[in-house]
Amino acid sequence: MQTITFDSLRWQEQPARVTITVNGGPPQVYFQRIAPREVAALCQGRPVEELPRILAILSPAHHLCAARALDRLFGVEPPPLALNMREALRQALFYRHHLQKFYFLLTSLENPFMDFWSSEARRGLHTIPHQLFDDLRRHVSLAQEAAGILGGRADHPVTAVAGGVSRYLKEDNYPRLAEIAAACRNYGLRLAEFLREEVLAEGKMADLLELATVPLATLALGPEPDSLILRDVAGQETARFAAAALFEKIGLHHETWTYEPFAFLRDKGWKDLGAEPMDSLFFVGPLARLNNGAPLAAPLAEAERQRLIAALGPFPHFSVAAAYWALLVELLEAAEHLVVLCEVEKLTGPALRTIPAGPGRAGHAALEAPEGLIYHHFQADEHGLVREAQVLEAATENNGLFGLLTRQTVEAALARKQPWEETKERIELSLLPF
Amino acid sequence: MSRAEKKKKLAVYTATGCRACEQALLDLNYEVNDLSRFAEIVFWPYILGSTWAALDETEVDVAFFAGAIRTAADRQAALKLREKSRLLVAVGACAAFGGLPGLANLAAPAPEVPGAARSNGEPALPGIEPRVSALSLIVPVDYVVPGCVPTQNLLWAAMLALVCQGASPARLSYAAARLPAALAEAIAAGVLPPRGSTFAGEKSVCASCSRIKEEKKFGTCKRPYQEYQETGRCLLEQGVICQGVATQEGCGGLCTGVGIPCRGCFGKAPAIFDPGAKMVSAISSTFDSSNPQEIAALVENFVDLAGTFYRYVLPSQCALLVTPSKVEKDADDNL
Amino acid sequence: MSDFEPKIIAFLCNWCSYVAADAAGVSRFVQKPNVRVIRVACSGMVDPSYILKAFAQGADGVLVGGCWPGDCHYIAGNHKAMRRAPLLKKLLSEMGVEEGRFRLQWIAASEPGPYAKTINEMTEVIRKLGPFPLKRSAA
Repeated sequence: MQTITFDSLRWQEQPARVTITVNGGPPQVYFQRIAPREVAALCQGRPVEELPRILAILSPAHHLCAARALDRLFGVEPPPLALNMREALRQALFYRHHLQKFYFLLTSLENPFMDFWSSEARRGLHTIPHQLFDDLRRHVSLAQEAAGILGGRADHPVTAVAGGVSRYLKEDNYPRLAEIAAACRNYGLRLAEFLREEVLAEGKMADLLELATVPLATLALGPEPDSLILRDVAGQETARFAAAALFEKIGLHHETWTYEPFAFLRDKGWKDLGAEPMDSLFFVGPLARLNNGAPLAAPLAEAERQRLIAALGPFPHFSVAAAYWALLVELLEAAEHLVVLCEVEKLTGPALRTIPAGPGRAGHAALEAPEGLIYHHFQADEHGLVREAQVLEAATENNGLFGLLTRQTVEAALARKQPWEETKERIELSLLPF
Repeated sequence: MSRAEKKKKLAVYTATGCRACEQALLDLNYEVNDLSRFAEIVFWPYILGSTWAALDETEVDVAFFAGAIRTAADRQAALKLREKSRLLVAVGACAAFGGLPGLANLAAPAPEVPGAARSNGEPALPGIEPRVSALSLIVPVDYVVPGCVPTQNLLWAAMLALVCQGASPARLSYAAARLPAALAEAIAAGVLPPRGSTFAGEKSVCASCSRIKEEKKFGTCKRPYQEYQETGRCLLEQGVICQGVATQEGCGGLCTGVGIPCRGCFGKAPAIFDPGAKMVSAISSTFDSSNPQEIAALVENFVDLAGTFYRYVLPSQCALLVTPSKVEKDADDNL
Repeated sequence: MSDFEPKIIAFLCNWCSYVAADAAGVSRFVQKPNVRVIRVACSGMVDPSYILKAFAQGADGVLVGGCWPGDCHYIAGNHKAMRRAPLLKKLLSEMGVEEGRFRLQWIAASEPGPYAKTINEMTEVIRKLGPFPLKRSAA
């Protein structure tokens, strides 16, 4: 019996490893998260208004989701200025998150820390010109700057609070935000061109198209406020429900070999990974969102979505290649939304936040984070301290998908007798866009 | 010595936490100065997929370690990187003090997760330790860059001091970073700063905070969801608990600048023995009453003191949880 | 548990409670031997960090003795102590330090009896509670 372990997978927000045991028959493949999150333990007993800042460590969008849940818990509706600022922050976070993923994709082709000035480097041919890395990161940095203006910081933002946001923008923030939004949109178009030529069609990464495909149900926010839509592998709507009912529809299954639970659909019951049909799992994220097949309001993003359909066929899609393309579509969409939102009229107003009378007992919110749908549900006691905080992360909802993608990749690699180093890279590339 | 030979070998690793500190280091590479001019990155699992086995084949000059020590794997990583590295830097509040994961020490103990492999062939998970620790509680740490997330200028100061050692042309405004003179001079001279230095300011956040401080006397307590002036007057004076008074400066008053009270992510200010004690003292000295019943009623409003005052520092800076020998060392410096 | 001897640190203000402690000794009041006295100028100068440090360095209980309100040699120093105590108690109890380990007690210079009674009571309360409950990490 042979046991292979892929120590630390690249580009995973939480530490992950893959353990494979080969014993003649089909391999046993385990995608493991090896550090616990312990969100409930961190939140228990905290003043409920502190949750946006605490939960920001999960991902920046969790900060916004927590603030929204607090709006409900405190029974207040934020003023329009606050809603616009939060939404602009969300779009900046989308842009930065998706662009970062393309950065990681490019680092698979070229070591980003190579000394580009060394004589060896200058003699050799570069797969990816240094300028491209620089350009890309410069726009990540711009998106981070916008997130910093709107949120205090890009990572661990602080400005979204119960009932609104904590501070007005300054005079010179307005033109700067507009500048950044325009630059991000223009860069999005340039990047799209490069990716289409080099990555998504033929080119340096043509074998992206050969990576895994795992058809699963998808879950995303619906068009009505606070509603969620579940679609099957044909893209058809199978359930529509209020976000508050999420944990009635979705359960969490625990395994002893990973710290991340698996989200599954209660009415299908948990089935072990690999069992057929795989209808108790679902996934979230950019591809899941686009699988509703609806045209997008943002014109540049819609044009890109049409290109995807022309190249890969109509939605729904489940392949890794489609997932990368979905990131690109949403990148453009986020930039376009940011341009629309970063206008002075939208980001000025008489009130920053609606002051509540006092904390209620419960609040919830569902939000489309860049990484996928996230959900918070808080219960507070009479002092406004957290009695229970339930947080659903995208990683939990996609845990099943990751396990299946990893398994499929390993099986294909064994069939092709691929060296393990390459298999690790293919796993990393398969998981990256989700 | 060739340029390649002069380059320092860097390692970057996060234990239990998030990726924001590594993100901040990555930003340095692109926003400040190209790391490859003076460093060779020999171990960075998050970006380069480096394995522990590969680390055995090389040496490390400076290791940037982020994340708290929660699992057995975290502990092993800390021991291994300490053994391998000439200099070990605790980056971020989690590595420096325990960080937000440290709050788990206030909750009921986590259910037992056995670390041994199961007989049915399922792989093992690194076991959870009974308490969350900071890096400095596991191994000796040479330098600390605090913050959740560390700011760019302080992270760059650490890079300049420990890796570039005078070789990089990109300079830093020390006034903006409020580094102590000894640290700033070492950076300018290209020598290593005193071991154990923290890349942060000398005073408390109040020294960098732009808000207006008048008189600290209030008879109210406000929770942050209640009404207060988001700019202008000091938050503590308005009755909102702000821990800037107990926290080491260096962030430039980032949170208070956007209307949010400080929660102490830079750790306790150097002159303070215990941040909880300092906050008790700071808050109770503003009580405008000498009547025991009135005071008791005021105290009712303050909730979750332990989780607030020790929000980022519980494992390493709560005096009640640290052994006497460490306390004695601090005591000689502080009391 | 039966041979556990509590260690109590007593911060006694110079003008009242220390005098009372001294008088209690001279007048041969029966006192448990578990108290170590630290004389301070005023109960108001006892910073909460002294109390935490005492616990950190091995104390099982901490007593702060001050003059009765109105009698403070420095006018209002004991008022400061009075303002700190409830908040500090709340912090200690959240950290798992039981009620009774930290005590603020007004003791006049003329009250050696009440002083002896206080420390004897406190010793027994803490003997029942046991050693200081928090496990400290190695530095």
